Amino acid sequence: MIRLQNVSKIYKPNTGALSNVSLHIKAGEFVSIVGQSGSGKTTFAKLLFAEERPTKGEVIIGDWDISRIRQSEIPILRRQIGIVFQDYKLLPRKTVEENVAFALEVAGAGPSRIKKIVPQVLKIVGLSDKLGRYPRQLSGGEQQRVSIARSLVHTPKILVADEPTGNLDTIHSMEIIELLKRINEYGTTVVLVSHDRDIVNALKKRVITLHDGEIASDIERGKYMI
Amino acid sequence: MSFFLSALRIIRFAFQNFFRNFWLSVITMSVFVLTLITVNALIFINVLGSATVQSVQEKVEVSIYFEPDTSDDIVKSAQGYLLGLSQVRNVTFVSAEDALVAFKEHHQNDAVILDSLEEIDGNPFGSALVISAWSPDDFTFILEAIETPEYQRYIKKKDFTDYEAVISKIQNLSDRIRIGGLVLAGFFILIAILIIFNTIRVATYVHRDEIGIMKLVGANDWFVRGPFLLEAIMYSAASTAIMVGIVFLSMRWLEPWVSTYFGGIDFSAQQFFLDNALLIFGSQFLVLSVLGLFTTMFAIRRYLRV
Ligand SMILES: Nc1ncnc2c1ncn2[C@@H]1O[C@H](COP(=O)(O)OP(=O)(O)OP(=O)(O)O)[C@@H](O)[C@H]1O
Ligand SMILES: [Mg+2]
Repeated sequence: MIRLQNVSKIYKPNTGALSNVSLHIKAGEFVSIVGQSGSGKTTFAKLLFAEERPTKGEVIIGDWDISRIRQSEIPILRRQIGIVFQDYKLLPRKTVEENVAFALEVAGAGPSRIKKIVPQVLKIVGLSDKLGRYPRQLSGGEQQRVSIARSLVHTPKILVADEPTGNLDTIHSMEIIELLKRINEYGTTVVLVSHDRDIVNALKKRVITLHDGEIASDIERGKYMI
Repeated sequence: MSFFLSALRIIRFAFQNFFRNFWLSVITMSVFVLTLITVNALIFINVLGSATVQSVQEKVEVSIYFEPDTSDDIVKSAQGYLLGLSQVRNVTFVSAEDALVAFKEHHQNDAVILDSLEEIDGNPFGSALVISAWSPDDFTFILEAIETPEYQRYIKKKDFTDYEAVISKIQNLSDRIRIGGLVLAGFFILIAILIIFNTIRVATYVHRDEIGIMKLVGANDWFVRGPFLLEAIMYSAASTAIMVGIVFLSMRWLEPWVSTYFGGIDFSAQQFFLDNALLIFGSQFLVLSVLGLFTTMFAIRRYLRV
């Protein structure tokens, strides 16, 4: 599902973020990416939805080599991948409902589809009663659930979450992780970038540890070891 | 289908952005309106200036005084000759008697002059022709044209010399107003462009995060740009409308003032703006919109690279 071959990323002018990373994530896996600050986790995540391009090597999603993806094709890629960020990235001038609908609207979905899917995904994240609120009227955990709901509208095969619990307390973090696990159980491949030892250990799933832009370890049912 | 759907959505988003960020919209439009008012004030001053110059030009007259013993027939024939010139607007005949009456009236409080007039036997004045031209430039030509052998010997005096200075002064003034107006207009338009450019850049900068989010959620560039472009046109339309209101209100208020201070000028600023409304306001709206669209495209470009 996700394949990286000898991927290096050097930010201009000369910050090496990833060097010679090769890995394969199979469909339906739940993979945690851990590592110290600056080890290249976010860079790795950004490569998956083409916010950055590899300096060297190939990034292949499904059977699509996105290493040299054209600017005009990026929207098409992003409509197939769910993305969740640490800072939620909700549109401040749109309500919960509109934020979720927006992801469908950009893809040209018809009104009837939007009417059907938006309540569905908001129900999954348990926010059916807050449709009309603006992001600023929600708690951090609620905002993150909106962002997850938005990432689900296209029933993506891949969900990339970069420190989705970074701004949340333990209880809300667990809620988010439970949500991700549930999404994974429905068949979506989940890539979770995390700093949180407890979360990663509790998951008992594959853990890839980055160190200075290289893969330091890659263990099935791994643990957070730094 | 999908195209219309996207177009409708872009329109909806533009209106949402406009009203949900009401204060930024108000501030942006205020800058637009103030800029437009400056431009129109300049137009007003320019038009008023040239109307003044023109009315002064129209008032310039040159008199030709004939020898006292010249018969009215000859003077009338000279009048006819002058009227036949295309440069001449009008020629009025002032008889010797009228000239005397006018002179007496003018000096009615000056006993010395009146007394000396009594000393002279008869009417010392001859008849005169008062000429007005279409343009003060033409007087030189007109006064030379009258120097034909036929009339020359009857002419006592042409008061061209008195007017020469006035005419050249007016000419100078009107040229200066025109050039000054152009320079000032160019200067203001440059400032206006810079202000609008910057206002839009700020408005776009404020939303740079949103732009990035839209891109990350899978919007293509046009879907992100669309509402911003439409908003620029909405700002232009609303500001033009507000400015039209302000212009006509202030014209109403200025009109009496203008006719008091520039009394006798045949000029209505209100009428001028009415007559040229489509040209003046239409072109301002167009320029504003094009400028807004261009600037938005330019300003948004860097935030789209996500
Ligand atoms: N846009 C950029 N331009 C230049 N250097 C960058 C850029 N983004 C990241 N870097 C550098 O690349 C390296 C890896 O950064 P990255 O954000 O991937 O780390 P991270 O593992 O996500 O860290 P954190 O845990 O703090 O989020 C760091 O040295 C960072 O300074
Ligand atoms: Mg990071």
